[in-house]
Order: sequence, then C-alpha cells, then structure tokens
Amino acid sequence: MFAHVLSVIIFLPIIAGLLLLATPASRNIARFTGMIVSLAALVLSLDLYMGFQSTGHLEFVENIPWIASLGVSYALGVDGISLFILMAGSVLLPMVYFVFATKEKGYYANLLIVQGAMAGAVCAADMILFYIFWEVMLLPVFFMLGLYGGPKRLPATLKITLYTIAGSLLMLAAIVYLGVSYHAQFNEWSFALDKMAQLNLSGRVAAVAFFGFMIAFAIKIPLFPFHTWLPDAYTEAPTATTFVLSAIMAKIGVYGVIRFVVPVFDQEFARFAVLLAYSGVIGMMYCGIAAITQKDFKRMLAFSSASHMGIIALGVFCMNVQALTGSIYQIVAHATSTGVLFLFAGILEERTQTRTISDLGGIAAKAPVFALYFAIAMLASVGLPGTSGFIGEFMIILGAVKFNTAVGVLAGTTLIIGVCYMLWMFQRVFFEKATPKSENFKDFSLIEGLAFLPVIILIIVMGVYPQPFLSKITPSTALQFASAAPVVAQAASATNAHLPELTIEQK
Amino acid sequence: MTNDLMLLMPLIIVGAGAILLMLSSAYQKLTHEMAAYGSALVFAVAFLVQLSACITGNAVLFSGAFNGLLVASSFSKAAGLIILACGFFTAMSSHTYFKQNDFCSPEYYSLMVFAASGMLLLTMAQELITVFIALEIMSLAIYILVGYDRKNVISTEAVLKYLMLGAFAGAFLTMGAAFVYGATGSTKFVKIAQYVAAHGFMQTPALIGGSFFILVAFLFKAAAFPFHAWVVDVYDGASVPVTGYMATGLKTAIFAVFANFLVLDASLQSGWITYLFYIAVFTMFVGNLIAIGQQSLKRMLAASGIVHTGYLLIALVAVSTKDFTGSVIAYYLAAYAASTLGIFCALSYLGGAGEKRSTFDDFKGLAKSRPYSAAAVSVFLLSMAGIPPTAGFMGKFYIITSAIEAGQVTLAVLGIVSSIISMWYYLRLIINMYFCEAEEQFGEAVPSNLAPICTFVLVVCVFAISLYPVVI
Repeated sequence: MFAHVLSVIIFLPIIAGLLLLATPASRNIARFTGMIVSLAALVLSLDLYMGFQSTGHLEFVENIPWIASLGVSYALGVDGISLFILMAGSVLLPMVYFVFATKEKGYYANLLIVQGAMAGAVCAADMILFYIFWEVMLLPVFFMLGLYGGPKRLPATLKITLYTIAGSLLMLAAIVYLGVSYHAQFNEWSFALDKMAQLNLSGRVAAVAFFGFMIAFAIKIPLFPFHTWLPDAYTEAPTATTFVLSAIMAKIGVYGVIRFVVPVFDQEFARFAVLLAYSGVIGMMYCGIAAITQKDFKRMLAFSSASHMGIIALGVFCMNVQALTGSIYQIVAHATSTGVLFLFAGILEERTQTRTISDLGGIAAKAPVFALYFAIAMLASVGLPGTSGFIGEFMIILGAVKFNTAVGVLAGTTLIIGVCYMLWMFQRVFFEKATPKSENFKDFSLIEGLAFLPVIILIIVMGVYPQPFLSKITPSTALQFASAAPVVAQAASATNAHLPELTIEQK
Repeated sequence: MTNDLMLLMPLIIVGAGAILLMLSSAYQKLTHEMAAYGSALVFAVAFLVQLSACITGNAVLFSGAFNGLLVASSFSKAAGLIILACGFFTAMSSHTYFKQNDFCSPEYYSLMVFAASGMLLLTMAQELITVFIALEIMSLAIYILVGYDRKNVISTEAVLKYLMLGAFAGAFLTMGAAFVYGATGSTKFVKIAQYVAAHGFMQTPALIGGSFFILVAFLFKAAAFPFHAWVVDVYDGASVPVTGYMATGLKTAIFAVFANFLVLDASLQSGWITYLFYIAVFTMFVGNLIAIGQQSLKRMLAASGIVHTGYLLIALVAVSTKDFTGSVIAYYLAAYAASTLGIFCALSYLGGAGEKRSTFDDFKGLAKSRPYSAAAVSVFLLSMAGIPPTAGFMGKFYIITSAIEAGQVTLAVLGIVSSIISMWYYLRLIINMYFCEAEEQFGEAVPSNLAPICTFVLVVCVFAISLYPVVI
C-alpha cells in the first residue's frame, strides 16, 4: 500500500496505547480505540500478506542507520517465518476488544502496546532492535498481570518478570558478544541479523553465548525445565494476557531460536540438538501428564499450552525442512486453537465465576454454539485430521522420525496424552449434569459468535487446504537449510562418531 | 585567545554567578526564591554557552598564562554540560522542596553554584594541584549543603561523617600528589605521562605509591568499594535535592577527572587495571547487597548509586588510552544523571513536609493518587534498571560493548548479573506504587509546579538520550 508499512503496524498500536495511558480517556473510548487500531493493523497485515512474494528472503525491508559507529540500524523486514507470527497476532488480537467489553482503560492500552512490541520483535532485522522490542513486550504483560490479575498475582508477576529479564539480559551479553566478534572478524561493526550467519564461531565462549541465547528463548517458550513460571502466570493473568502470552509471545521465543540460534550457532546447535529435542519431548510429556491432574481448567490449559510448545520447539530442533515448516504451521495452528481456548476459558470464568472443572457441567445443552466452537478449537489443539493442528503435528513428527527415531516415536505417542486431558475435560464441563453454577450459562451473543467465526473457519481451512500457507512458508525454511547445510553436515559428520544414532538430513 | 575565553566562559559565568549570589545574600537583597531563580539562570546561561562552544578537539586553555593547567576536550565539555544541567534541575527542585521545608536561606543556592564551579574546574584540570583545589572548592560547598538542616540530627551526623572521611580523602590526594611530584618532578599530567613513558611505571615505587593514594581519594569520592561505607548515611542525611546533586553532578566530575588521570599513560592504566577489575566487581555486588535490604527509598537510591559507580568503573577498566574520547563514560553519566535527577526531582515534591514519605511502604498506591508522577518515577526506575527503550539501557549497552571489545568478557557478564539482581529493588518500588493499596494518606498538594515540570522534562530526556547515537 505504501512504504514503511511495517513501521506503521508496529508503532500505530504503541502510540495509540501510550496516548490512551497519558490521557484520561474513558474505558469505552479505550475499547473503541483499541478495536479500530487493531483492525487497522489487521487490514495492513492482510495487505502485507497479499503483497508477500514468498521469495524466501526478507521483504518489505526498511533500513535506517541509527548508531552508525556501532553498525546498529533500524532495520525491519518479514520473511515466510516471521510473516505468520505477525499475521497470527494481527488476526487474533482484535477479537479481544469485541469479546471483553468491561475492562479498564489500562487493560486495552497495555494490550495495544504489547501488540506493537510483538510485531516489532518479529519484524526486527537488527539484533539490538530485536532486543529492545523483546524487552518492551514484557512491560505491558508485567502491568496487566500485576494490575488486573487473579488473587495470587503478585508472586506470579514477580516470577515471570525476574525469570524473563534474567534470561534476556544474558541474551544481551550474547548479542554484544556476536557484534564484537563480527567486528573482530570482518573489521566492521554490525548487528544485522543476516550478517551474523557469516560469523565463524567456535570454542567455549561460543558455546556460552549459544546458551545465553538458548536460555532466554527457552524461558520464553517455555522449554522444560524453564517452564516453572508458566502455570502461575497463565493462571493468574487476566484472560487477554494469557491469550497474548500463549498465542503469540511464546511463539516469539521459538522464532528467536529459528532466527538467531540456528543460522549463527550452527555448530553448537548441531551438537546440542539431540539434548534440546529431548528436552522438548520431556516437556511435552511432563506438562501433558500434569495437565491431566489439574482441577482448574485455566491451569489445565496452561499446562496443555506448555505441552504443545514442547512439540513446536521439537520441530525446530530436528534440523530439517519438514519439521521446521511444520513448526511454523503449528505456531499458527496453536495460536488459533489454544489461544482461542484461553479466550473461551475466560468467557467461561466470567459467566460462571469459577475455574474449577468439577463445579461445571452440562454446558453443551445450555450453550450449543459455545460448545461447538470450543469443540472445534479443542480438536484442533489435539491435532484431529481435518483441523489445522493435524498438518503441523504430522510434519513435525515426520521430521522428528527422520532426525532421530526415538525422539519421533516418543513425540508421536505423547500426542495421545493431549487427547486424554482435553476430551476428559470436555466431557466433564460440557456434558454430564448441569451444576448450580453452570445452570444459567448464557450462549454467545451474535457479536461474539461473529467475532470468533473467522478463526474457527481458519482452523478448518488450514486443516483441509494447507497448500497456500505452506507455499509461503517453505521458501524461507528451505533457505534456512540451504545456507546452513554445509556446516550442519560437517558438524553432523564430526559428531556422528560420538552419537551414531544422530542422523541429519543433508539436503 | 577568544576561543580559549569562550571555552572557559562557562566556568567564569558559574564562578562569577556564585560570588554575586553570595554577596547579594550577604546584603540580604534576595529572598530565597529569587536566589533559586538566579542560580537556575546562571546554570542555564552557562549551559547554553557550553553548548555553543562546540569547537571540537582538545584545546589547552591559555597555555601561556596557565602553563597548560586546564584542557578543554570534548569529554570535559560533555561532562560540563551534564554538571550544568544537574545544577539547573537541582535548583528547580530545591525551589519546590523549600516550599515545604523551611531551613533554607539564599546562601544555599550560592553554595550550589560554588560546588558546580569546582566540578567544572575538576573536569578540565590536567594538573594535580589544580585537581586538589577544584576538589576542595566542590567538597567544601557540598559539606555545608549536606548539613544545611542544622536542627536535624541525622543531617548533622551525615555531615560529620562526610567531613571527617572527606578530609582524609583530600589528605590522601595531596599526599599522592607529593609522592608523584617526588618521583617525576612535575604535577602536570602531560609531564607525568612523559616520565612514565620514558622510565616505566613499575620501576618507581614513589610513583606507584603516589598514584595509589590518588586513586584512593578518587574512589572515595566516587563511592566505590571499599570506600563506600559513608554513602548510604550521608545521602540519607542530606536533603533530597542535595542528595540528587551529589549523586549526579559530583559523580560526573569525579569520573571525569578519574578518567583523565587514568588515560595519562597506557602502563599506568594497565598497572591498576587488575585492581580496578576487582573494585568494580565488589562495588557492584556490595552495592546490590546493601540496596536489597533497604526500607527507605533514599537509602536504596544511595546504594544503587554505588552499583552505578561499579558500572562506570567497568567503563574505566575498558577505556582505551589511545584516542580517548570518553564518550561511553560521558553517555552513561548523562543517562544515569537524567534518571537519578528525575527521581530526586520527583521525591522533592512527593516527599512532603519534612520528607515524611520516605519508605517503600509509603509509596504504596501512588499510581492511584498521582498517576503521572508514578509513571515518571517508573520510567526513571526502568532506566536505572537498564530496560529499553530508556537511556539507561543504551548506557549499559555501550558499557558492555566496550568491555567485551576490550577483552573483559567476565566483567561484562558480571555487570549483567549485577543488573539482574538490581531488578529486584527497582521493581519493588514499581510494584508498591502500582499493585498495592495505599496504607497511609499523604497530603498531595503540590506547592509549586517547577519540580513536577522538571520531572517531566527529565522523562523526555531519558527517552531522547536513548535515541541519541554516540560515537565510540
């Protein structure tokens, strides 16, 4: 439509949010501003999506030098990997303003800021710029969780904040280390992402820097054993925050791994890939089993979300095109299914004033539309064929089996746990006898039904006809391996002596 | 000649302004409000002159008459700008502060300007005797300012502590200067550097001892480990604007002269670098340990000032003696000054009469009663904690980059660990302000608009500085 469309997508919500915070606007004005701004961002993103050429490289590039002496620039761009996370945010966030009408001004304003910051983190093509957006996107979450969260919100807020900041500050050291190494090797300062892939890193310091990045992203995803902040934060946070955290922010952690760790630290990544893949699988199992025993459905969804993040992360660690493409696809599928489930859970909580599964029952009879939507999102989340969840999970498992049979088999069988807790919860909440709390449950209003309809349709379309989406993703994921392949192959042959079962696809 | 005069003009304006203020208050021609405006005017004019005198490169001022005692470099000019801005904002916040507290007389402002003239001289000094004189001009004024509230026991204790220890530091400096003179035959930095280059640093015990004493004096004034013990009590005893002034202006001046002294010669710096490494690490972690335990906001800020001294020491360890521009140090000082001054500006009107609101608990629920001030304080705290997109983040980024570039990876990582720890006490105040309900009511009437305006100007500064790129 016009130049700098990415900047507008990023800064329009941020500026609108800051203006709302700075002015004594009423909550209705805040809600409508949020609605209009997020819809504007949606229109711009759709336009971006239509104009996307799927070359595999960064498109819609903006590049303005900022700190010339250190080579830091204001550089933005999207490729097939970032496009889908950006789209997931733009498509899903407007719903919140339609569904939740009675929140405070700060709620909507912070939501706008976090939307802009997440778009910025996804589009940034400079490491310093990425880091700035990465940190900024935590601040609204901090305030939303602390101001509007549940009764035990303070410990949860502190936990998530200190945890994430500790991780990201270590990442800052690693980023600076990369910049300085680039200066040392090429005699030129730069923090640009695409240039970092040329770096030739080895030795112990490189491994430390690799873990500096990896831990920051593992905390955000969250990858086992860094997931301990998640149940508290997801449960105590207000619905929209949980939604933002699980649907998009967690994905930016995965995105970080794909964008920073895989191209730059190819050797270290190849060395530790099996370890990381197992940590993904263990996270899947552990959080899945934990989800079965939960009595609180929001907490159950939190564990289920963590479990699914395990498989998405696994797709990245398998180091082949199928698994990576599957991961990106699953990112969108997970955002539309589990993210939306969190919104449904929020509605359920608002209307029944309880989060305990045993307090509920028989909702399907009272609210058929709600039950239908919930069922579709739930089935997508467990990966039923014909829904979006199936395609992604199938590709990841395929890639995982190629990468390491044991991991693939474990991941494939673990999926059954997801079916267990989801269906059991669905049965207890939606069927069986109605309880006093769920007796007067009101079904969706027309506006709510229409607000959720596009996402529900998207779930089915993505499950039935994935090709248009895949064709936008594949060039970028293929390119990731085209450039990294020689090194990955070398590293693989080097490590194969120690790990005979490690087989890496050499494209 | 005119050029030299222009470069020296800020110092002349500030010095003349201080004398004028002192005289007119001696003749009782001034109310203290007028004195506040007068001192602010002096600072503003000097700031503008300093800003306009942007002739780059190093110039030896009046090399014939002064024999190379004073040098104006881009670093000293930047430090001068920070000091003058600190003075301006302190004058403004003092004006508001003394609407609620009644121990003010017009001399207060004249002393503040005197202190600034000492600080300015300190940034330009390239000779040990001049350093001593400038340090004493600054310190004497600050001693009196610390103890200005004569009827307050805490304040009196603070000034006694500071005066005794500060006098020792001054004695150490003269002792060191004498040793260095004995070894090298000169007190001028240039001559000392020539001597070190010709004879080596480690060969002359008197030079080692002398520079040790000088470093002790500087570390004391900069509040570095192991000379940090006075900081918390003195900052707590002084009135809020004075504390802010000490934490920013004084620290800027000390680090300017510290850097100028260290970059004399590469072997001098490398001789001390191992010690500075440990001093920086201990300063950061001891400061953090002290800050975590504090209940009073002012004491926490004092302790966090120690931590920031540690970060600045990292930059000092990492400075290269070749083409020293000091831009990293100057940038960090500016970023730190903007956020620290901002928070003290806010405290000067939030504190109320007699600084009643002082502990963390007193700030509970501030976001409800004063949303804009709470937001401003949060911005300053986030900047001190180094969260982007504030100036504090960029300052920390430059320091970490220069440390890693200089091969001090361990130091950089320890600096980052320290800033993770410091998150706790900065976040604690934000949590109290936003997420807790007020336990006690405070009168929220603001006596004057000057300090609030300054606070918001500084909020803008915190963001503006972060966008301003620096040349390393």
